[in-house]
Amino acid sequence: MKKNRSALAVLVLLMTTPFAAHAEVDFSKDILPILSNNCFQCHGPDAAQRAADLRLDLEEGAFSELPTGEFAIVKGKPDHSALMQRITEADPDLKMPPADSGKSLTEKDIALLRQWIEEGANWNEHWAYVPPQMPALPEPVAGWEQGNAIDLFIQARLKQEGLSPEKEADKATLIRRLTLDLTGLPPTIAEVDAFLVDTSDQAYERLVDRLLQSERYGEHMGRSWLDAARFADTHGLHLDNERSIWPYRDWVIKSFNQNMPFDQFTIEQLAGDLLPEPSLSQRVATGFNRCNVTTSEGGSIDEEYYVRYAVDRVETTATVWMGLTAGCAACHDHKFDPLSQKEFYQLFSYFFSLTERAMDGNALLPPPSVKVPTEIQIAEKARLTSESTAANQEVAVILENAEYADPFEGTEFPVYAKADVVWFDDELPAGAKPEGNTPWEFVESPDHPVFSGKNSTTRTGEGITQHFFTGATDGPTIGEGDVLYTYVFLDKENPPETIQLQFNDGSWDHRATWGADKCFGAGRDYEGNRRQGDLPELGKWVRLEVAAADVGLKPGAKLNGWAFTQFSGTVHWDQAGTIGAPQLTAEQKKSLAIWEHYQKTVGSSVPENIKKIIDVKVEERNEDQIAELRKYYIENVNPDIAAKLAEPRKKAAELKKGLEDLEKAIPATLVMEDRKEMRVAHILERGEYDKKGEPVESAVPAWLGSAPEDAPNNRLGLAQWLVSPTHPLTSRVTVNRYWQHYFGTGLVTTSEDFGVQGEQPSHPQLLDYLALTFIESGWDIKQFQKLIVMSSTYKQSSRVDQTKLAVDSQNRLLARGPRFRLDAEVIRDQVLQISGLLVGTIGGKSVKPYQPAGLWKPVGFGGSNTSTFRQDSGEALFRRSMYTFWKRTSPPPSMAIFDAPDRETCQVRRARTNTPLQALVLLNDVQFVEAARRFAEQVMTHGGDSIESRIAFVYRSVLAREPSAKELQIVGTLFNEHLAEFNESPEAATELLAIGESGRNEALESEELAAWTMIVHLVFNLSETVTKG
Amino acid sequence: MNPLLREAELIETRRHFFGRAATGIGTAALASLANPELFADQPQTQLGAMGATHFAPKAKRVIYLFMSGAPSQLDMWDYKPKMLDWYDKDLPESVRNGQRITTMTSGQKRFPIAPSRFKFNQHGDHGAWVSEILPHTASVIDDLAVIKTVNTEAINHDPAITYIQTGSQLPGRPSTGAWLSYGLGSMNENLPSFVVLHSTVNGGFGGQALYARLWGSGFLSTRHQGVSLRSNGDPVLYLSNPKGISGKMRRKMLDNLAVLNQQRFDEIGDPEIQSRIAQYEMAYRMQTSVPELTDISDESRETLDLYGSDVTKPGTFAFNCLLARRLAERDVRFTQVFIRQWDQHGNLPNDIRRQCGIIDQPCAALIKDLKRRGMLEDTLVIWGGEFGRTIYCQGGLTMTNYGRDHHPRCYTKWMAGGGIKGGIVYGETDDFSYNVQENPAHIHDLNATILHTLGVDHERLTYRHQGRDFRLTDVHGNVLTDLLA
Repeated sequence: MKKNRSALAVLVLLMTTPFAAHAEVDFSKDILPILSNNCFQCHGPDAAQRAADLRLDLEEGAFSELPTGEFAIVKGKPDHSALMQRITEADPDLKMPPADSGKSLTEKDIALLRQWIEEGANWNEHWAYVPPQMPALPEPVAGWEQGNAIDLFIQARLKQEGLSPEKEADKATLIRRLTLDLTGLPPTIAEVDAFLVDTSDQAYERLVDRLLQSERYGEHMGRSWLDAARFADTHGLHLDNERSIWPYRDWVIKSFNQNMPFDQFTIEQLAGDLLPEPSLSQRVATGFNRCNVTTSEGGSIDEEYYVRYAVDRVETTATVWMGLTAGCAACHDHKFDPLSQKEFYQLFSYFFSLTERAMDGNALLPPPSVKVPTEIQIAEKARLTSESTAANQEVAVILENAEYADPFEGTEFPVYAKADVVWFDDELPAGAKPEGNTPWEFVESPDHPVFSGKNSTTRTGEGITQHFFTGATDGPTIGEGDVLYTYVFLDKENPPETIQLQFNDGSWDHRATWGADKCFGAGRDYEGNRRQGDLPELGKWVRLEVAAADVGLKPGAKLNGWAFTQFSGTVHWDQAGTIGAPQLTAEQKKSLAIWEHYQKTVGSSVPENIKKIIDVKVEERNEDQIAELRKYYIENVNPDIAAKLAEPRKKAAELKKGLEDLEKAIPATLVMEDRKEMRVAHILERGEYDKKGEPVESAVPAWLGSAPEDAPNNRLGLAQWLVSPTHPLTSRVTVNRYWQHYFGTGLVTTSEDFGVQGEQPSHPQLLDYLALTFIESGWDIKQFQKLIVMSSTYKQSSRVDQTKLAVDSQNRLLARGPRFRLDAEVIRDQVLQISGLLVGTIGGKSVKPYQPAGLWKPVGFGGSNTSTFRQDSGEALFRRSMYTFWKRTSPPPSMAIFDAPDRETCQVRRARTNTPLQALVLLNDVQFVEAARRFAEQVMTHGGDSIESRIAFVYRSVLAREPSAKELQIVGTLFNEHLAEFNESPEAATELLAIGESGRNEALESEELAAWTMIVHLVFNLSETVTKG
Repeated sequence: MNPLLREAELIETRRHFFGRAATGIGTAALASLANPELFADQPQTQLGAMGATHFAPKAKRVIYLFMSGAPSQLDMWDYKPKMLDWYDKDLPESVRNGQRITTMTSGQKRFPIAPSRFKFNQHGDHGAWVSEILPHTASVIDDLAVIKTVNTEAINHDPAITYIQTGSQLPGRPSTGAWLSYGLGSMNENLPSFVVLHSTVNGGFGGQALYARLWGSGFLSTRHQGVSLRSNGDPVLYLSNPKGISGKMRRKMLDNLAVLNQQRFDEIGDPEIQSRIAQYEMAYRMQTSVPELTDISDESRETLDLYGSDVTKPGTFAFNCLLARRLAERDVRFTQVFIRQWDQHGNLPNDIRRQCGIIDQPCAALIKDLKRRGMLEDTLVIWGGEFGRTIYCQGGLTMTNYGRDHHPRCYTKWMAGGGIKGGIVYGETDDFSYNVQENPAHIHDLNATILHTLGVDHERLTYRHQGRDFRLTDVHGNVLTDLLA
């Protein structure tokens, strides 16, 4: 299909909006939505569903001859158009759309279609798929305030609708609105005062510039971006364990604060790893597409999840940059937009070849990841490394100068007998985590049999029961020919049917079984269930021995766990360990010859190269071998030299440990990285991972413009394509989201869908003007924010005129200023800031402030490291809300109640509800009560001495304005009433003031402080407080 | 009708209602806001996006008893006596037929048959087979429609439970309760329309994870998400006044708050302020209605006995079943009770006996209790998990002990009450309870049927999101008409 871009460009300019009555029918605005909503299901882009060979989403299809010989649409002749006949058909069997489709056309739809055909059935593409063109600026409306070009577009439209803008809001309202919008925090009294006294023309602009320089700006702008990026602190699926990707969050904040241009912001996040010699920061940026939910659920099939992750990345990328609902095309050609299933999988291919694993392993850092040291850590590492080198050098020097002569001259070597090495007796070994059907039970004699020490461990059970431990740190390392042993006592009265020992070296699949074959691995004879014989004699202690090799424990295996398992009955166990070689004495070790003999006869744990030398007869060794063996002995065995080395070695070890600890403390973050061998993507039938169709290569959908010529065909090229100045969507979608930030609703309401099914823009020319201005500025984000807030449209009063409300309840025409409820995070941050509790640290690991007890347990998987909520204390309680630890399967409730998204999927537009649960949060959440109390202290210390001045202090701090006389009177009366109540029951005051972990100012009288706390809390609960007005 | 517009209109309607309530009659209205008694005279319900049901509903409300972890149909419902002859023999390849299985057992060299160790007996007029570990449930079998052929595609817990709850294996869609809240609205202004209850097992939690998305609202307004009614701490989050603030003080604060907000409204004219005033009143009413709800001291001894001895311990499954009945009495639309620890890969006989010991009596009690109060006819009760378990053994096998892996191809759930035919067994599985033999009931069919009993056409309860009309049953689902009374 050849696209007629220039014709459409003209049309876009002519296009009007939903509010305007107009003579001529506009295809893109009036007709395409009717066709899309009612006809595309069967006559749209999806080839598989197409009926009657009629395709109405393409001009060619709409006007071509049908197999019946009819024409769906005949230009200028509605009566000759089959489409008109069928939609007005009386016969229900013939009428379109069919009754069972659940769709029907209104009279108005039919009239519009008729008019459109009469007027020549002009055909154009959907507006959003044609690159924006710079519109001519409308003439200014005389007598109305205009701050910049935005107002020309808005006001021209208002005039057309017979509306007029509101006057500029008062300065107090403006500074609160602007400060909340640009920083997510309210202005302080001092800031308000400074603005009020600055009567110059530049006062407002200076305020804007100051706020754009605030580091709070980056946090606030970044927060919305993190909704889109589905950023969170856990993996999201199944165990929902913790994930470390907060350095990416900090990268977002920093990028906004440094005003990174949006094109670079895009490229680094989508493909920072593919840039030439990427910096650490550019790699961290790629965390954007590692924020998706992942699983490690046992039993999952890898291939299925590789597909799901890539699909999520395509959907997210398409939504955020293009407002394209690409996900629909994962299963079939898109029903409404021209995205074919093949094109979907071509996009999918860009994200299908990461080095990530399908199973995240429930790990903090499922690879690939990078370490992100702080400046301090980098310096510390350099220091430790240099000191460590020096310490190692000292060791080397000592060794170099060491002299050694073997004191042993005889030929009679000592005899080395193998002996029991007890691993545990009477108590569990170091580090062991005890578990079992019921806890470990230790019993003592004389009531119970005990073999050694003071106790034995016992169990009585039905069926398979056991007690065991894992995680022991001092377990034996298995040597060649080692044997494991323990002692068992089977109850005469209640013997078990089976007893089983299990050994864990990372796997439990090493079992020895006595008696009936009824324990783990039953029915199979293998290392995981090796039968040792019948049950031992009842009623006495019997020693059990198991050859390590018999149960698959290889030399070098290190045990960390041991299980005592039985099938029914009562069993006692005591002492366990290995039968292995004894150690050489220190005296014996002084002789290389004895040591060597010991290695030969007892079995050795020396490295392979040394073992080989020892195997060579002494007289047959060459010089190199002799030297190597001697060197090994001196460095590792000889006690005299070891004594000399002790100090420097200790120092070296400490430094090594210091380095290791530092390495561990250095945070890391998930990043993108492509495989060397790219996987081939296929079209997946119905989106199912195991129904592979035709293979495809990475490609961008050509109908949205081709990639820049020098762009590589990988994620980098994809990113470059998105930010190429001719891309019809990226800039429009982005400026629309910014618009939404300030006005609550985008120029296109459906900021996630710019497709045919999306809402039409309220001001199409303005949208194009903004999109092109943004690109021309070099994608300068701060400059763009300034453009919006400098407009008179933004600065209008938000008072709601009832006539305007009746005409335009959603304020799409902007005949008044923006006014809507603050976001969850802003509501909380606001009271923390006002109360002085806010800790301003930027970035770092997420924190766990107050949350009602017992929220994670009822949902968490036992083995998950986020199944128990452990609240932080101190400063962590008072960080900005964007740093609150986000567990996806149980998000922080006070945030979720105020419509914060769950962060499981990409979200570019938040809901704004108004519910009783929100009232409960504001009324009763400890965070708000504590903040009220802390602020009340300031009210008493800084708010003057009179009740009136203190109330004014509250209003000015919270709302930036003075209270009215009536408010003073109401609140003043209430204060006195509360004070009287607390005077009557001082214990109530004490209780109220004890809420929250931060200390209180004891110098202030309790009853009065409690009464002020109530007043502040009241003001925190005002509708005005939670609203940007 | 475009559902998005419809929802917006409703919000407007509600605003107008609150707007009238407070501005039309000036100060008198303020008095009504300040006085909950007066306010309580106002209409108590909110219409949903559908306005009216698509056809006459049989059920007004739903109680969904969710067995998380997937209980074994083979040991509870799907009686396969022939399997005794198959003990420790391999599952024939012709039965498995190359179907995918989880990677927990796909590496197993053998798939030995593990017959159920439990006895089954016939119960009810239709002689339905029920395992000996469900004696109480067996006593109400004539009220149950036992569906033996429920099936799903998901083979792991997270995707499977997300699938049955939201119609999609991936996060992001609204849950069943949220859909109903959105479509049908609320019948009780003092309580949420969708309530979630979590049950303890032996005093603790544990088992397969649950996720907020299972009662989430997805792309619907967050107003529709399920509200957890908790057994410790505040039953509804943030319900209690802070320490030191008496009910009297709170009332006074709210009165003044309403006055101040009203003043602001008079100046600014934003209807959202009116709405917020009303929400605070609703919050205040919840502070009374929720404790009343969870306080079971007004239940008779006989009723408590019906549910068993655990019923007096908050958080137990028995307590939650009683609470579910109390919620149903208060016309809460959708109550979902979760109990976990059904994921029995090993040691199944012992563990399932324990689980049945916990749920059997309360399940039966709930049916009996609803029935004698005349509420069973318009309350739909659903029981079951996210998938079933395999006939072949996972791990060691003896006649009395075995484990079972996940099985998605057929498993058993039951439904009772509101619009459902009692005393029937629907569908048949093969001798191995491996494949459906007749009358499959895909989980989309089940969800379509649930909506149907509530007067909702599952194809017409839609919400436009990202340009597409979404529904609970995606593009699938057929009402299982044989189940309908």
